[in-house]
Amino acid sequence: MALRSDYEHGRADSYRVATVIATDDDNRTADGHYKSKRKMPTKAAKKENLDDLKQELDIDHHKISPEEMYQRFQTHPENGLSHAKAKENLERDGPNALTPPKQTPEWVKFCKNLFGGFAMLLWIGAILCFVAYSIQASTSEEPADDNLYLGIVLSAVVIVTGIFSYYQESKSSKIMESFKNMVPQFATVIREGEKLTLRAEDLVLGDVVEVKFGDRIPADIRIIEARTFKVDNSSLTGESEPQSRNAEFTHENPLETKNLAFFSTNAVEGTAKGVVISCGDHTVMGRIAGLASGLDTGETPIAKEIHHFIHLITGVAVFLGVTFFVIAFILGYHWLDAVIFLIGIIVANVPEGLLATVTVCLTLTAKRMASKNCLVKNLEAVETLGSTSTICSDKTGTLTQNRMTVAHMWFDNQIIEADTTEDQSGVQYDRTSPGFKALSRIATLCNRAEFKGGQDGVPILKKEVSGDASEAALLKCMELALGDVMNIRKRNKKIAELPFNSTNKYQVSIHENEDPSDPRYLLVMKGAPERILERCSTIFINGKEKVLDEEMKEAFNNAYMELGGLGERVLGFCDFMLPSDKYPSGFKFNTDDVNFPIDNLRFVGLMSMIDPPRAAVPDAVAKCRSAGIKVIMVTGDHPITAKAIAKSVGIISEGNETVEDIAQRLNIPISEVNPREAKAAVVHGAELRDVSSDQLDEILRYHTEIVFARTSPQQKLIIVEGCQRMGAIVAVTGDGVNDSPALKKADIGVAMGIAGSDVSKQAADMILLDDNFASIVTGVEEGRLIFDNLKKSIAYTLTSNIPEISPFLAFILCDIPLPLGTVTILCIDLGTDMVPAISLAYETAESDIMKRQPRNPFCDKLVNERLISMAYGQIGMIQAAAGFFVYFVIMAENGFLPRKLFGIRKMWDSKAVNDLTDSYGQEWTYRDRKTLEYTCHTAFFISIVVVQWADLIICKTRRNSIFHQGMRNWALNFGLVFETVLAAFLSYCPGMEKGLRMYPLKLVWWFPAIPFALAIFIYDETRRFYLRRNPGGWLEQETYY
Amino acid sequence: MSKNNGKSEKAEYEFYQPAKKQTFRQMVYDSQEGTYFGRTIKSWGQLMLFYGIFYIVLATLFSICMQGLLSTISSKEPKWQLKDSLIGTNPGLGFRPLSEQTERGSVIEFDGKKPAESDYWIELIDEFLIDYNHTEGREMKHCGFGQTHNPIDVCVVNTELFGACSKANNYGYKSNEPCIFLKLNKIFGWVPEVYEAPEKGMPEDLTRLITNTSQEERKQIWVSCNGHLGKDKENFQNISYYPSQGFPSFYYPYLNQPGYLSPLVAVQFHSPPKGQMLDVECRAWAKNVIYSGSARDRMGSVTFQIVVE
Repeated sequence: MALRSDYEHGRADSYRVATVIATDDDNRTADGHYKSKRKMPTKAAKKENLDDLKQELDIDHHKISPEEMYQRFQTHPENGLSHAKAKENLERDGPNALTPPKQTPEWVKFCKNLFGGFAMLLWIGAILCFVAYSIQASTSEEPADDNLYLGIVLSAVVIVTGIFSYYQESKSSKIMESFKNMVPQFATVIREGEKLTLRAEDLVLGDVVEVKFGDRIPADIRIIEARTFKVDNSSLTGESEPQSRNAEFTHENPLETKNLAFFSTNAVEGTAKGVVISCGDHTVMGRIAGLASGLDTGETPIAKEIHHFIHLITGVAVFLGVTFFVIAFILGYHWLDAVIFLIGIIVANVPEGLLATVTVCLTLTAKRMASKNCLVKNLEAVETLGSTSTICSDKTGTLTQNRMTVAHMWFDNQIIEADTTEDQSGVQYDRTSPGFKALSRIATLCNRAEFKGGQDGVPILKKEVSGDASEAALLKCMELALGDVMNIRKRNKKIAELPFNSTNKYQVSIHENEDPSDPRYLLVMKGAPERILERCSTIFINGKEKVLDEEMKEAFNNAYMELGGLGERVLGFCDFMLPSDKYPSGFKFNTDDVNFPIDNLRFVGLMSMIDPPRAAVPDAVAKCRSAGIKVIMVTGDHPITAKAIAKSVGIISEGNETVEDIAQRLNIPISEVNPREAKAAVVHGAELRDVSSDQLDEILRYHTEIVFARTSPQQKLIIVEGCQRMGAIVAVTGDGVNDSPALKKADIGVAMGIAGSDVSKQAADMILLDDNFASIVTGVEEGRLIFDNLKKSIAYTLTSNIPEISPFLAFILCDIPLPLGTVTILCIDLGTDMVPAISLAYETAESDIMKRQPRNPFCDKLVNERLISMAYGQIGMIQAAAGFFVYFVIMAENGFLPRKLFGIRKMWDSKAVNDLTDSYGQEWTYRDRKTLEYTCHTAFFISIVVVQWADLIICKTRRNSIFHQGMRNWALNFGLVFETVLAAFLSYCPGMEKGLRMYPLKLVWWFPAIPFALAIFIYDETRRFYLRRNPGGWLEQETYY
Repeated sequence: MSKNNGKSEKAEYEFYQPAKKQTFRQMVYDSQEGTYFGRTIKSWGQLMLFYGIFYIVLATLFSICMQGLLSTISSKEPKWQLKDSLIGTNPGLGFRPLSEQTERGSVIEFDGKKPAESDYWIELIDEFLIDYNHTEGREMKHCGFGQTHNPIDVCVVNTELFGACSKANNYGYKSNEPCIFLKLNKIFGWVPEVYEAPEKGMPEDLTRLITNTSQEERKQIWVSCNGHLGKDKENFQNISYYPSQGFPSFYYPYLNQPGYLSPLVAVQFHSPPKGQMLDVECRAWAKNVIYSGSARDRMGSVTFQIVVE
């Protein structure tokens, strides 16, 4: 067993705490309520699930005698199952694999894309087109095919954008598939006395399997034979300490008894033979996975925002549509005309390309995040991280390196700090003092850990080691300090060894002396410091051996307390040169009946180990803090260790005290401290079990810095729910299977790419490829940036809605020839506006987005009234003015002065009128004036492009001046060129007059819009100037979106 | 609390809470906040003022632009003419009577026996011909083939030459022999290049007519009417054109002369089939009038339908 029970709470405790809840409580969370608004709908289902979980935990396979078990499964420890029985079981129980979470069928996903968002509105438009066409077709011999054509175009638009978003979605979900274990797992099984290698899926209940180190346990098995067998249960419990397993039944709780090993945990040492007692979804792992997939997750914040926005736009479209439908009737239009107006208003109101733009923007960010080690499974999660206001982080592996490392040494009566950084850039210490030499000799020799072979190029700290974590830490420390440890061990051959056991709490070995002139044997010992001290009578200080007096003991105690208080695991070291007269060369040391002294030894020093924080974490935590994100540590580890790490990474910042600290400082009982005075809190899982949800809320509300230690996975879920109840958007990190319910419940679950279990990755929305907390901060930054940029993108896109709608309104109300057609509207929405809108996703942040508070999901909307007011009320109006001006220019220059146009619509659109008189008495045939009208459409379209240049430039910034922001966004500059080239192409390409009814324009007709473009630019620069000059002023309140 | 961090920590971790739900009444008027539809009267006022000024400035900008536009435009002649203008150089034909009810399209439907129906069309034609009949006080010239005249002169269109299609004859509507007045669309500055000899593709009667016309009088933009899409041919044997089967070229060019009147050709259908739609297509013949009969791309021609009950 490991040398780890150095302080009173062994790590095993945490494991027990972690599992007891699941069996003890009555399927409520520790607070006993389980109620939060978000969860209401699924409460029943979830309860059932938990019931299920509990019941199944009441297995007795580990309690019954082996014979009874063989009987039960009709198997045999040597021969295993018969082939026939195995086949029967397989048919009965199905394959030994987790049922993948229920996937929405592909066609449902496709339909959602086809009918979600604005699609319904456009379908209505398309259907109206077809209806109008069929009525026209049935009433006239030569129906105008405009409506048929438009109906087809609209349907095509919906279908194409639907396919596009479906494609994007499926592409991002494919990322996940790459994570699924592609390599099939194999298991060694004994059937009818034969050893077979089968695929793990083919295992059945009662199979006798053999497992050796490095294997994944293929199912839940009861061990019947084991040789130094250890498993790593981290994927189940989150604790990475290997635990030994053997055939003994040691605990009622199936999760704790030593004779069970669980599906998908790893065997790290030794070999074992066991009987499969549960398979697939019935395994412990399978049940937790099932629980996680049963949780409902709710909408992501960005999805809420987009829905809010869609409702807004749809509302406006329906309102305008219906209003003008009615107005058209009142004005005496034919109902078919009214329907056509309705179509036009719908098409003009719906930003057809916007949802695709949003998808592309999110995809671009997802790609950028993937390159920074954040892999996003669900596109919408990209932004969720940006809205996050609370992060519940794991400690092990995320905040820390997940690698025990020697942090401090105490020798020569002083504490020396060792380098714990990943790249050995930290402090160096004197390696020449006799004290260090003696200490390092013990640490090197009294150590069974060894480097695994074949790792020549790997840095020492990253090398894999076989053996206990503490010993591995010592080995690496010594390898760094002394060089080739294996060579030193060879020179000091090990003669005898007394391994560690939990009663003695020490480990002894006897070595030959390196110095050939010295025939004495060297005895080295390490173990729990107080036990080691008990066995010493002298102490080695500054090269001299001194009597271990009270003063020295005091010094030892202080050092021990100090290191222990840092949350470090402390080991004591002592040695003794065995006198050569009593123990001559060749002396037979007996380790069973100890025939050598293990008392009155020479104390040398202490070494303490910790799993040190990752280098980038303190910085990342500080960034979160300045970004207004509360970082809560949730760990299964001991409170002292947790607090120490929390302090060293800044989760508990310097100077902030917990209730306990205050009590200690003021020397008063804890109960007398006002909890509100303490900013920080370390909450023990055991306490958490007794608090009500109100108390938990209070903890979350009044303490800014919280560490939850010794928590079970279920408690993690409670904490997440507590934060959500407070209105926070919660990100949760986790790697174990036990974390998956919390990951699923969180607004964004973050799984670990390296250490994470498959189940946790499945439950998560995002995967950190490097397991590093700092990557989350990158994600937050990207998420916030994309939220800002989406605002800009939407502001840009929505602006052109006004110049699109207003022609229809003028057409109906003023009876003028239509200034802008539906096809040209589609050309703007799906053509020229697309690339510029997407390019805004590449815009850099205007200020340090990590210095402001997270957005308030209740009032900081993606699309708010100020954005609408800006886009529709101000910029859009200038754009509409530009469009109408161009329209009047072309009409007037060709003969129809503005005055003439009002009221002309009926005659204009009548095919029978082949000689419509203009202001100069010229008579226009139907064909000629339609050419004129379509030229106006084209010119209106071009002028929208021109004013959108200015709009794009002003949308680059929301507060800063463009002269400050610069034009370095090359995607955007390309967008400017692109929309212009596309507009020119649509206007001048031969054949367009047939296909899209776009006509070539005279060059001079590009210019009338330019004054309006300048007006937009000047207006907005001025507005932003006053915005900056009067922060918080009226203008900001009304126009800052 | 003793440590020296006396400065109050900023409310870093305040949790956001959803806004209180408002009732509809509160939305309209919240007495606590004194807000109507979410704003106080003052706030509404400020907003109105802002938008008021904004739109006034925008309207000013727009009017300045419009003034700039109008200042470049003459009231006499269009800025762009002929090829430069979208009206082009290819005049189409127009016909009268044309119902003001655009839903009726180009269908002329009546029963000569029912005064209400025929009077409707007669009145339309009367209205159309007002300008032609009331030329008092205008300076007009009686132009003729072979005469030269100043291009800005206005030539008289003599309505007395319409023969059976005269007002006195009720344009034939009472007798179920309706007259349709054709005119060539006016295009500023357009000068016809007439066919002075029969052309291939011309209907036989037109060929015959041209051959029988004196060389001098051949300077006309010829007109021919026929069954649209080649049907109803047999019903088109009995058509008369007044005063001649063409528009004399001396009326052109049109230069927006005050009082200018387009030359007219009255086409009388002597025996339209009863109760049947007669689909008529009339086209103009000149070297610079391009013809296209397709429904979508009609050029140099016009169609209309006559239904005589």
